[in-house]
Order: sequence, then structure tokens, then C-alpha cells
Amino acid sequence: MNAELLAVSGVSKQFLGLRAVDNITLSVQQGEIVSIIGPNGAGKTTFFNLLSGQLAPTEGEVRLRGARINRLAPHARAQLGMGRTFQIAKPLIALSALENVMIGAFMRHRALATARDKAMVVLEKVGLAQQARRRAGDLTLGERRRLEVARALALEPEILLLDEVMAGLNQSEVGQAIELLQTLHASSRLTFLIIEHNLKVVRAFSERVVVLDRGRMIAEGTAEQILSSPEVIKAYLGEGHQ
Amino acid sequence: MNKADKSNLGRATEFGALQFDDGGIESGRKALLKYLGAMALALLPFVLLVQDPYWLNIIAFTYLMGGLAAAWNIIGGFAGQFSLGHGVFFGIGAYMTARLYVAFDVSPWLTMFPAAIFASLVAVLISWPTFRLRGPFFAIATLAFNEVAFVIANHFDSVTGGPRGILIPFKAGFANMIFKERWQYALLMFVFVALVIGITVVLRRSRLGYYLLAVREDEDAARASGINVLEVKLRGMALSAALTSVGGTLFAMYLRYIDPPTLFTLPEVGVKFALLALIGGVGTIAGPLLGAALVIPFENFLRAELANALPGLNLAILGLLMVLAALFMKRGVVGAWGDLLIRLRRQRSSSK
Repeated sequence: MNAELLAVSGVSKQFLGLRAVDNITLSVQQGEIVSIIGPNGAGKTTFFNLLSGQLAPTEGEVRLRGARINRLAPHARAQLGMGRTFQIAKPLIALSALENVMIGAFMRHRALATARDKAMVVLEKVGLAQQARRRAGDLTLGERRRLEVARALALEPEILLLDEVMAGLNQSEVGQAIELLQTLHASSRLTFLIIEHNLKVVRAFSERVVVLDRGRMIAEGTAEQILSSPEVIKAYLGEGHQ
Repeated sequence: MNKADKSNLGRATEFGALQFDDGGIESGRKALLKYLGAMALALLPFVLLVQDPYWLNIIAFTYLMGGLAAAWNIIGGFAGQFSLGHGVFFGIGAYMTARLYVAFDVSPWLTMFPAAIFASLVAVLISWPTFRLRGPFFAIATLAFNEVAFVIANHFDSVTGGPRGILIPFKAGFANMIFKERWQYALLMFVFVALVIGITVVLRRSRLGYYLLAVREDEDAARASGINVLEVKLRGMALSAALTSVGGTLFAMYLRYIDPPTLFTLPEVGVKFALLALIGGVGTIAGPLLGAALVIPFENFLRAELANALPGLNLAILGLLMVLAALFMKRGVVGAWGDLLIRLRRQRSSSK
């Protein structure tokens, strides 16, 4: 029953002497939750940028619902149903939280009133309804992260790419965020591809885990399999830890 | 405001000045009432001084410059693309109107629209490559276009009259856009500024308006939100240029003499539009007109009082004021006013 939503085949990115992403092949089914983990500098964010169009791959192919998208600009990929957040949240600081989310909602809804209503619904979903009229620049880090997710959600995407949305959040905020993602996934069968350092989140939320190290995919499997794999532990902690 | 915010602000707008107005999501009725109120206030000096030809001249010019600054504000304020080359579009409106009127007796009312469309086309053509540049580099490139326009205007005297310029003979009549009375000009300029500000009010509440703001705030976030950044910038620039060209038409028919220095002298035209918007409050709706209302009469006063005492002193004082405004009122008068209101509200709530 599961249809393939995102198909990445043999994708690489070369920066001068550095092969930041090296021949990655990955297939994501509709409704699936896939986590990407790996040490710093493993190429996770570069890989995301190749998917969302911020960067063009040197080699390989990215397909969304079977259509080749690796030559498309980021905005065109967003229109095809790919929403993303940034590792460093990018709130539009001079605008209110509501207006931030409206920017996303405008993609599918031209009229101001409709965009505003849709944005308000999304803000309620992520628990920012109280902050709707606040200036985005005045929000806390946790609120900004949620705002970032809200703006991407307002695009009504098929797949959501979340780049370390939990970074910098405290324990209770992380708990809330996991709950939010679970609710979103349960209610809309949205497909998630997430970069995450917090292994608690990876364990609680993902169905499949992909491990990157130095641009290569070194392992793939369920959270349990991956987190006990010697190769993964080696990549994270170096030799000699068992 | 913490440190991270400040650095963010600096990155988003290298030229300072950002205003949180939240104006797009107020109700349509409230926006309309605010607009009508502001325009009634703007018309007040005209009503009070309608008998005084000296002041009427200043008022007419203030309206015109307010409208031009508001037109600049669409791309410079909303979209954060700091163009200093709007003299090009201003010149297109002025030259096309004057030449067609003098040579073929075409009514300026008719020339106004094709001139505006032509200015939009030129705007798109020169912006296409320059929008790849960011911040100061974009500003410098637009500055260069203004200088190119200056040279072209001097060179092609069959169209522009070259350095001699174009003199428009006085033939009063509505169809000629030439009037006997000063108040008629002042009213015409008021209609212009009211129209431009009306357009920005509508724009602020439209998808394009929001997209322009998103582009100013963060281009990567805008792209990820499905926004074609280049297309949005070009649309904003085309609209801004068209309105600037209309201002050029009005300017030509008001002065009835145009030559390259009047149209392309940077401190009087291209840079002036930006400065008026900056002083009033860049990216706000009323800021540009407010900036014009403060600077234009003051400039006239300085020119009249000081120009004979020591040539250039009036310009020096004006420059000093602008530096002070840039240092201490980064978000213009509208921004400073907003800050004051917030501070008063905080004081009131803390004293309770």
C-alpha cells in the first residue's frame, strides 16, 4: 500500500576537495518517519540542502513522487510539497508570529483572509496561538523553533524536512516537541525526514534511522538496531568504546 | 532585545530601520479608516495655506516628493532592496511626457501610462542582473545606472534636448496638465501621493506585499516558503518604477523645464527618495510622506535663510541632520514614535 514519496539515488556533492555527500541512495515511503543521524560534519545538512534545492547535487538524482526535482529551485520544490526548517531558525523577525506563518500559507491560499485563518489553525496546532501577535524577534528559542515548523506546515507539504528542531530546547520543551510531531504524524500521515542529535527523540519518534559519516551512508535500520550497531558507535565515539 | 536579535536586525537590513507594524492583519475597515485619517491630516496644510503662493509651492513639492518616496519605499522599504537609481525611472516619466507634449502635443495624461509601463520594463531589464547583488553592492550598481542615464540624457539631444533641456511652453488647460493657479498643482500632487500611499496600503495587505517583506527578512526562508525571490523583487521593482515615472511626469509639467541635472542629480533625486523614506520610517506606510513633510519645508527654509550667508551651509546642516537621524533614529520618525508608545505603555503598566 505504501507508495514511494522521495527517491534519492546516487546523490553526491563535491565542494572543491571535499566530498560532503558521497553517493547516497535512499527511498522514503509516504507517511514514513526517517531520522538521519551522524557526527558533526557528516554531511547531514548538506544532504538536506540537496533535497530542498538550496544546493545542486554534483551527481545523482532526486525524485519526488517519481518526478525528477534535482534541477528545480527551492521555491519550486516547496510548491511540489516539500517543506523544510533550518538548523539555525530563520524567523522573519520584524513580522508577527501570525504573519510569519501566513507567509507559508500564502503559497496555497492567495487571499489574505484565508491565509490568515489557515495560519491561525497551524499556530494553534503548534501551541503558539497565544503568541500570534508577538513579534517573531521577541519569541524564545523554543517558540522560534515551533514557529519555524509552523511556517513549513502552512505550506501544506507532503514531506517535512526538519533540521535539528530540538537543538537548544530544554527537557520539557523536547517532550512537548516530540508530542507535537507525533500528533502531526498521526493526524495527517505527513512524511518526516529529520536530522536529529538527540537520541531520545530518534528512539521515540523515528521508524527508520539512517547514519551518515563523512558523507557516506554507513548504516540503515530501526532505531534499536542502529543504536546498538558497533559501526555507529565507532563513528560517534571513535575506536575502543564498546 | 538580546544580542542575537541585534545582529539579526543588522543582517536583515544593512541600512538600519525596521518597523514592526503588524499592519497587514488588522481589519480592512480599520486600515481604510487609518488611511483616510492620515490623508485628511496630510491635506490640512493645503487647506490652511491655500491663499499663500509661497507655501503652496512648498506644499505641492512636499506632496510630490512624499509620493516619490512612498513609491521608492515599495522596493526599498518593503523588499529591502536599497535602490539609489530611481532617478532613471523619474527621468523616463519626465522626458517622455515633455518630449511627446512639445513635439506632438500629446496630453501628459495620455503619456503618463505608456511612460510608466516603459519605466517598468527598463526597471525589470536593469534589475534582472543587479538583483543578484546584495546589500551595498546592489545600491552601488543602481547608483551607476543613474549616472549612465545622466550621460545618455546629455548625449541624445534629439529626444532629451541634451544639456539644453526641454522647455515646455505655458499653455494653461486641464488637458495639458498646466494650471494657472498654484493650488491646482498642489491638489494634483496631493492626488498623486494619496494614490501611491493607497496602493502601498493595499499592497501591505496582499500576498505580494507579504512576499516582499519575506524577501527583505530572509531570502532563504522565503525560498523555502515557496517564494520565487527574483520574481517577487522584479514585481516590486516594476510597480515602484511605474509610480516613480508618474511622479516624473508630474514634475516635468510642474516645472515646465527639465534638463539632465534637474532629473539625475543624486542628492536631489535618487538618493533623496531613499533619504525621505529613511527619515520618516522605511518600510512603513506613512513614513515616506512624513519624511517629506519634515525635510522639504525645512530644506526650503535653510535655502532661503542661509544660502546667501555662506554658500553650501544649508546643505551642510541638512547633511548633519541626516547623519544624526541615521545614528539616533534608525527606524525613522515612525519607528521612534512607536518606541515611545511602547515605553509609555510599559511605564504605565509597571507603575500600577
